[in-house]
Amino acid sequence: MTTVEKLKEILVKDLNLEELTPGDIDENAPLFGEGLGLDSLDAVELVVIVQKHFGIDIQNMDEAKTAFQSIHALASYIEGRLSSG
Amino acid sequence: MSVAPIPITGMGCICAAGRNLSDSMEALLRGERHPAPPVRFASDHPVPHPVFEAVDFEEPPDLLRTSAFALHAAREAVADAGLDRKILGSLRVGVCVGTTVGAVISEETFCRGYLAGGVPDMAPIHRILRSNPADVIARAFDLSGPRQTVVTACSSGTDAVGIAGSWIRAGLCDAAIAGGADELGRITYNGFISLMITDDSPCKPFDKHRKGLNLGEGAAMLVLASERVLRRRGTRARSFLLGYGSAGDAYHLTAPRPDGAGLRSAISEALATSGVSSASVAFVNAHGTGTPDNDRVESRVLHDMLPGIPFLSTKGYTGHTLGAAGAIEAVFTAACLEMGKIPANAGFETPDPEIGINPVMEATTVSGTVALSESLAFGGNNSVVALGKA
Amino acid sequence: MSGTERIVIEGIGVVGGFGCGISDLSRALNGSVAPPGTLNVSTGSGPIEIPAFRADTSPLKEFVPARTLRRIDHFSRLALLGGNLALADAGLAETEHHRLGVIIASGYGASGATYAFLRSFINDGDICASPTYFANSVHNSAAAHISIQLGSMGPNLTVTHFHLSVPSALATARLWLAEERVQRVLFGAVDELSDLIGYIRYRTRDAAPDAPMTPLRTEMETSIPAEGAAFLLLTRESAARGGYCALDASTTGSLPISGHPIPEPGLLVLGADGCRESGRRYAAVAQNSRIACYTPLYGSMPAGPAFDVAAGALILKGGRVFPSPGDAFRDFPATVPVGGEPVGTDRISCLTLAGDGAYGLTTLGNFPGTTGECAKEERIAAGVSRMDPE
Repeated sequence: MTTVEKLKEILVKDLNLEELTPGDIDENAPLFGEGLGLDSLDAVELVVIVQKHFGIDIQNMDEAKTAFQSIHALASYIEGRLSSG
Repeated sequence: MSVAPIPITGMGCICAAGRNLSDSMEALLRGERHPAPPVRFASDHPVPHPVFEAVDFEEPPDLLRTSAFALHAAREAVADAGLDRKILGSLRVGVCVGTTVGAVISEETFCRGYLAGGVPDMAPIHRILRSNPADVIARAFDLSGPRQTVVTACSSGTDAVGIAGSWIRAGLCDAAIAGGADELGRITYNGFISLMITDDSPCKPFDKHRKGLNLGEGAAMLVLASERVLRRRGTRARSFLLGYGSAGDAYHLTAPRPDGAGLRSAISEALATSGVSSASVAFVNAHGTGTPDNDRVESRVLHDMLPGIPFLSTKGYTGHTLGAAGAIEAVFTAACLEMGKIPANAGFETPDPEIGINPVMEATTVSGTVALSESLAFGGNNSVVALGKA
Repeated sequence: MSGTERIVIEGIGVVGGFGCGISDLSRALNGSVAPPGTLNVSTGSGPIEIPAFRADTSPLKEFVPARTLRRIDHFSRLALLGGNLALADAGLAETEHHRLGVIIASGYGASGATYAFLRSFINDGDICASPTYFANSVHNSAAAHISIQLGSMGPNLTVTHFHLSVPSALATARLWLAEERVQRVLFGAVDELSDLIGYIRYRTRDAAPDAPMTPLRTEMETSIPAEGAAFLLLTRESAARGGYCALDASTTGSLPISGHPIPEPGLLVLGADGCRESGRRYAAVAQNSRIACYTPLYGSMPAGPAFDVAAGALILKGGRVFPSPGDAFRDFPATVPVGGEPVGTDRISCLTLAGDGAYGLTTLGNFPGTTGECAKEERIAAGVSRMDPE
């Protein structure tokens, strides 16, 4: 399973996006505001989700801003962090 | 719309700044603060976040720490008011306490045992069930009047004081012990860090480089009494509760409304019920947690509604004491009015152009007779009390 | 109008083990009693099922879109459902939602979210503590969700004080209305039977698992834990358009050593809920009174007294007493009217006893224009939108 696919599944489950399936989610759409319409509370939950499922810590929300642009951006960020050890 | 002022005849306080109100005020006016990593509990966060613990305080084993704080502060306030159990027993006295931890029916060791499929010892739960802070105070002083535990998150202490004032005006009781209490622990520590609104260095309310809050613990209690009781006992008021306002943001569970509409409404109501104009306010004890959002929104409202009025956050000395905060800050405000002096806003160094106004940067003389203390809470609650010099 | 205006219960919204809405509650009160459901509890020797009154919140989707409910837990869903039902029952237009006071009373608070938060860091470490569960575990989260959904920016209060929560919070609701802070208060009592609370109830009670609740058999433990929400829309007399009855008083205090706090109670609705430790105290206080007890219909929970108030309101509106469920009250030292008997008084008092001799008493009175069917016709004629109760 690719990181993008894994993220879609995790988000649907952990953010309780009940009415969506992973297949419904456009990995290039914005996560916040429009697109999935997540908010600031979801943003900090997403930080914990990334820690819990990938072991990656995000120190502050400035760091998170670029990573959280979309699922695709987040997947790239995660893969980048994982490969740099 | 203005209401009768309610005499405040006694005050008590315990927090990281001091074991009683006068020690705490001395530390504030010296500009002294002691944020440090937690001592009484551990966590596995890689970087410990500073907190403001009341390190010398030990609670008895049969009481929640929160309730022990509440009782400690109540004892000081009652003695300060020249009262004792016998006198209180001859009056109808209510008790109204704000808290967050003190109302939670849960405990980590118990939950760990339950989760592991064991049969955990019930002692922690029994301790919680007999430790409601308002009940603890009522038992200690044999109080027969109304009781309430307010759980409006970070505005609980302010709300408890405002509500007790209403009780006395409505004749529901002759006097009331009102305030707030909360303890530090792993639940709130982990919770606020998870929200990414804490600072891993000492907090900097209103500063350009502020990163978030530091948690604290403690309690403060005020003895409010009717004028009739005051006359009968021949005692004096230390201060007056002039008015109270509160309003919701109806916006978000954790973030304040960007236009500060709820806070504006609460300040208006506090001023209207006090019968004072904004220009006559000597100073404002702000909520000032040191989070980017709070300080930005709050300062915008202060700039618009109370232009030129000195303001400060005392959370740089006490941390954010959650349910106790509104009460601790009310007693600080009353004490400052008495002394005609306000401490510096600890933690502030660099002005923030986005905020545009600065809190007081050094201990400052004040000569007015009215001050406001405000609290902004999760869930969008905004509460303000107006206090008057006696 | 002045502060001596009466306060009217203009709408009622209820959800619990009996179902959802005033018509389900009326059916239960008239004798159509649903047996309790069950709750799974993990014990040291494996999971067991205990009898429990569970509440279903699926009707909430008629008021709130599913997407909005994403992060809203069972506790807040119970509150949202109760609140929306009460507003619909009163026929209050949406345009009038923006300046409601919102007051929530809860004994257990947001215990599901609290437990989920603890689990999040117990299972995965402190750095994986869930901020969403933490935000929802703050006890005023239900009041926050309600005020956000309604867009209501009035004052907001949450009270957590075990069995005193309801009468204590109702006292404040009355004060807000007497002070004219708002014209209407949406008051609600909510308790959620989370796994953790269910387990604590299981450990602290030794009820015979399959026995129905018989609260008036005071020597036995027959409590069945429950969850639910009971909401009242409280309105100043001058603004009320029909309703059920007046809410004339609500007090909390300590029982005097001799005598009891109930002068001329009219009909006394007891909050006795099958807990052996309080049963004897209820018998002592209610001696020689004319009483009813409806807790077996909704179960044992700190929010129970709000359901008692709802039952009392329905009695005054219809003019006849409902039967007290079961017939196990022959030895209870009070008169229990037969179902269908005329209420025979214009006052009903709802009594709750808590630990250390503390009590809560809520008094309802007949109010012209709210009894009988004429009130319903008035509201329909006024053209306000309302949900068809059938």
